[in-house]
Amino acid sequence: MTGQPPALDLAIETRGLTKRFGTQTAVNGIDLAVPRGSVFGFLGPNGSGKTTSIRMLLALTQATSGTIAVLGQSMPTRLHEVLPHVGALVEGPAFYPFLSGLANLWRLDTADRHAPSGTRRARVQLALERVGLSHAADKKVHAYSLGMKQRLGLANALLLPRELLILDEPTNGLDPQGTREVRSLVRSLAAEGTTVFVSSHLLAEVEQMCTHAAVMSVGSIVAQGTLAALRQVGETRVLVRTPDAAGAMRVLTHLGLEPARRAIDAADPVVVAPLISTRWQPEAIVTALVAGGVRIRGFAIEEPSLEERFVALTGEGFDVVQ
Amino acid sequence: MSHNSVKWLPAFLVPAVVVAAVIAVPLQAGAAVDLPDKTPEQVLLLVNDSTVSTFSGTVVQSSDLGLPPLDVSPGMTESMQKSMTEGAPKGTTDGATAVSSTGALTTALDLLSGSHEFRVFIGGQDQSRVQVKDRLAERDVVHNGSDVWLYDSSSNAANHLSLPTDLAASAQAKFTELESQLPTDLSTPSQLAERFLSELDPSTTVSVGTDARVAGRSVYQLVLKPKTADTLVASVSIAVDSETGLPLQVTVLAEGQSAPALQVGFTAINFAAPNTDLFDFVPPAGATVTEQALPAMPDGATADHAGGRSTAAGEVPVVTGTGWSSIVEVPAAAVPAELSKNLMVEQVTTAVGGGRALTTSLVTVFLATDGRVFAGAVPLARLQAAAE
Amino acid sequence: MSSSEVLPSVPGSVNPARRGGGWDLLGSEISVLFRRRRTWAMLVAVALIPILLAVAVRLSSSTLAPGEGPPFLDRVTQNGLFVGFTAMVVAIPLFLPLTIGVVAGDTIAGEAGLGTLRYLLVAPAGRVRLLLVKYVGAALFCLVATLTLTVSGALIGAALFPVGPVTLLSGDTISVTESLLRSLLVAAYVTVSLLGLSMIGLFISTLTDVPVGAMAATIVVSVVAQILDVIPQLSWLHPWLFSHYWLGFADLLRQPLDLGSFGQNAIVQLCYLAVFGALAYSRFVTKDILS
Repeated sequence: MTGQPPALDLAIETRGLTKRFGTQTAVNGIDLAVPRGSVFGFLGPNGSGKTTSIRMLLALTQATSGTIAVLGQSMPTRLHEVLPHVGALVEGPAFYPFLSGLANLWRLDTADRHAPSGTRRARVQLALERVGLSHAADKKVHAYSLGMKQRLGLANALLLPRELLILDEPTNGLDPQGTREVRSLVRSLAAEGTTVFVSSHLLAEVEQMCTHAAVMSVGSIVAQGTLAALRQVGETRVLVRTPDAAGAMRVLTHLGLEPARRAIDAADPVVVAPLISTRWQPEAIVTALVAGGVRIRGFAIEEPSLEERFVALTGEGFDVVQ
Repeated sequence: MSHNSVKWLPAFLVPAVVVAAVIAVPLQAGAAVDLPDKTPEQVLLLVNDSTVSTFSGTVVQSSDLGLPPLDVSPGMTESMQKSMTEGAPKGTTDGATAVSSTGALTTALDLLSGSHEFRVFIGGQDQSRVQVKDRLAERDVVHNGSDVWLYDSSSNAANHLSLPTDLAASAQAKFTELESQLPTDLSTPSQLAERFLSELDPSTTVSVGTDARVAGRSVYQLVLKPKTADTLVASVSIAVDSETGLPLQVTVLAEGQSAPALQVGFTAINFAAPNTDLFDFVPPAGATVTEQALPAMPDGATADHAGGRSTAAGEVPVVTGTGWSSIVEVPAAAVPAELSKNLMVEQVTTAVGGGRALTTSLVTVFLATDGRVFAGAVPLARLQAAAE
Repeated sequence: MSSSEVLPSVPGSVNPARRGGGWDLLGSEISVLFRRRRTWAMLVAVALIPILLAVAVRLSSSTLAPGEGPPFLDRVTQNGLFVGFTAMVVAIPLFLPLTIGVVAGDTIAGEAGLGTLRYLLVAPAGRVRLLLVKYVGAALFCLVATLTLTVSGALIGAALFPVGPVTLLSGDTISVTESLLRSLLVAAYVTVSLLGLSMIGLFISTLTDVPVGAMAATIVVSVVAQILDVIPQLSWLHPWLFSHYWLGFADLLRQPLDLGSFGQNAIVQLCYLAVFGALAYSRFVTKDILS
C-alpha cells in the first residue's frame, strides 16, 4: 500500500494494477480513474483483460501488484466495508438452476450480512420489477432464457441502493429491446447518482451510454477520459468529392491545408484534408473551391469517430488478443 | 505478498501443533512424576497393605512378541475355529478335546498378538465382572457369590457355573494350613517382604525404577532384572499405585527390543464401588444357556472328562534349571496328539535343527521331532541343548 | 490511511450496522441444501437401507444362526429395534461416507461450478463466513442422514417385528425407552464420526471448481483411510485415522455405558477439524476465484 491517500472524488482508482497467471500477464499495470457519478465505459476486445481487472476490483482475485481503491477505500483490505455499496454483474449471470428467480435473489441477499432481513421480500420484488422479471419470479431459473438470466443478474446488483455498479457485459445475450432497456436502466441509475462502470466489447454501446471510457488492449489501458476528450484526439476532416481532384488539391494547399487523395474510385475521386485549424470555416472553403473552378459533387465535414479510434487502438476484426 | 503468507500460516501451524500435541500428550502423561523415595521393600509393603477391595477400570493388554505375521484377529480366529470344528471327527469325545485345545491355542495366540481392551469391575471379594471388548461383540465373565456366568455376545451363548459353597471355606482352610507351615518369623508383612526379596536375591536384582504415571495415577515402579544372561527377559516392572498400593501395570521387556514385549495395565481406574446391579447377571431372552460342571480342581488328580488321560509319572512336565532360565519339558506322552498335526502350529513355527520352533522375543517353544515340547524364556539354542 | 476510513454515505444506503447477522446465510444455506432433489434422493436411499434389511429378513424363511451375517442381524427377528443397529453397521463403511462425500465435496466446488461463488463473495458473504456456513451445512447433513437411518430403522423394525427389551452386547437387558435413547446416542456418535470427513471434503472442495471431482476425491479418501486401518504394519497410525472409531459405537451398546470411545473418537475428529479447517481456511482466503 502506498502512503498516498486515494482521491475521494474517484469511485474507482487503480495504480499499476497488474495480474499475472504464471508467465502470462493478463493485466499490465493499469491506472484506472473512474470519477464518481460517471457512467464509465470499460472498452476492449474479448480477452483484453477487462474481466480480470473487474475480478480484482471486487477482490475475487488478488492483484499481483499495484493498488486498488474503490469508493475511497483500499481493496481488498476493506472489502467488507466497500462491497455492500457495490452491485456487480461479473462475467455473465450465475444462479442455482433448481431455485426460482426469487429464491435465487433471496439467497444472494442473505449472503450480504448488511442487508436488512426485514425488507428482504420487498427489496427482492422491487429488484425483479426494475428488470421486468416480476412475471417469472417463481419460475425455476433453469427455465429462464439467457436474456432473462442477464436481467436477473442485474436485479441481483440492484438489491440494495448502491453507490457503484460494476457491470460486466450487461447486454450480452439480450435482444435489441432488452439492450435498450438496460441502457435506459443504466441512465436512470446514473441520474440517481450511482456511478456505473460498464465493461463492453461493443463500442456503440459505450458511445450510447457512457460519459467516460477507458480502452483496454492486451492488458493495458491505451486511452482514458471523457467521451468528448477521447473523440477530440481524432481529427475533423474536409471531404471534397470532385472530378477535378488536382484543382481541389491545389486550392486546399493554397488555403494552408494538407490535402490527400483518397483512392476510392478514379472516376469520382475524393480529396481529404484534415481541418487542422479553425481559421477556415467550411463555407469559406467551399467559396474558395468554387472560385478556383473546382466542380464540387459533394462536400462534407467529417467529425472524428470513436470507432476509428477504437479500431486504431485495439486492432480490427476478430484478432482476439491472447 | 507477505499478506498472503500470513494467511497460509494456519495451514502449517495448526497441523504442526496438532501433531506435536498428539506426540506430546502421551509423553507428558508418563513424565514429571516425583514421589518420595522408597526402597523395594517399602513398595512391597505398600502392595501388601493395600486395602482396595472395590474398583472399576479399563485394562489394556498389548503384546509385541515379534510373532510370525499371522492374522489372528477375532473374526479370523472365529472362522478358523469354525473350520477346525468342522474338520474334527464328530461324535467322539476326543473331537471335543481337539476343538477345545485348538480353541485354546487360537485364543492364546489371539491374546498374544496385538492389543486387547477389557473392562474390569470388582465389587468386593466375591463380586467381579470382566468384559473383553471385541469389535461389535463382547465376552463377559461375571462372578457373583457362588455364581459364575460366561456370556459371549457373538454366539449369544451363556454358560453358568455354580461354585460349591464350601469352596471359599476350603480355600480359607488351605490358606491357614499354609500359613501354619510358614516359619514363625514371617508373621509380619515387612518380614514377608524381606523374605521375598532375599529369596529373589540370587537370581534377580530388585530396584525401584523412575516414578511414572499409569491411568492418571502416580506409581512406583518395582523393577525385577534377571541376573543371568541366559534369558530373553530383560526386565519385569510392576507399577504400584503410590496411594493405594494397587499394582496398576505389569510390563515385560525383552532383550534387544525397546517396545514392551508384554504389557498389561489399567488405562483408567476408579476406586468407587461399582453398581451392584452389574453382578446380577440374568441371561438374556433367546440366549442358549448351558449349565457347566465345575472344572477339575487343580489339585484333584481326576481329569476324567479330559479324555481319561491320567497324569502318571513320565507324563508330568519337568522343570530344569532355575529362575529366569528354567526350561519346561513336556514329555511326548503328555502332548496332545492334535498339536503336532495342527495346521496353525505348522503356520506359526519354523523348521529348525531337531524339530520345529516358535521363537518370540520373550518365549521360545521347541517341538522336538520325538514329540517332546520344550519351552522357556531362553534362546532357542538352550532348548535344543536341553532336548539332546 | 485515515482518510480511507471515511466512507461518504449516500441517502438510503445500507446502514453499516450489522443487521441480520450471519445467521441469514446459514438459514439460506440449509434451505438450499434441503431443497435440492439430490439431497432428498440421498436421504431416501439412507432410509431404504434398514427397510431393505428388515424386509429381506422378514421374507426369508431360514433363520440366521448367531453371528451369521452382519452384526445383530440374527437378533432382528426377535426384536425389531436391532434393525437400526444392523443398518448402521452396514451403512457406516461406505454408504454414509458416500453421501457425506457428495455434500461436503459440493460445498465450495459446487458454488464455483455454478458460478454463484463469485456472487456470494461479491455480496459480500465473506470467505471465512461462507466456509463456516458451508461446514455447518455439511455437518447438519451428517446429523440428518444418521437420524434418518435411525428413525427409519426403528419404524420399520417396529412395523415388521416384535419390539421388546433389548439385549446389549454385555448380555444385560434394557427397556425399550432406554434402547431408543441409546439409538439416539449411536446416531450422535456416528454424526461425530463423520465430522472429520466432512472437513476433509470441505478442504478438497476449495481446491477445485469441479464438484464431481471433489466428491469423488472425498469418497476415495474415506475408502483409503479404511484400507489403511486394516494394514497391520501401520498400526501406529490406526488410532489417528478418522475412520478408526467408526464402528466404535458398539461401545454404546455395552453395560454400563462406555463413553470411552465416544471421547477418543471426538478427539480424533477434532484433530481433523483443526488440521483440515486450517488448510481449507488458508486455501480459500487466498484463492483466486476464476469460476
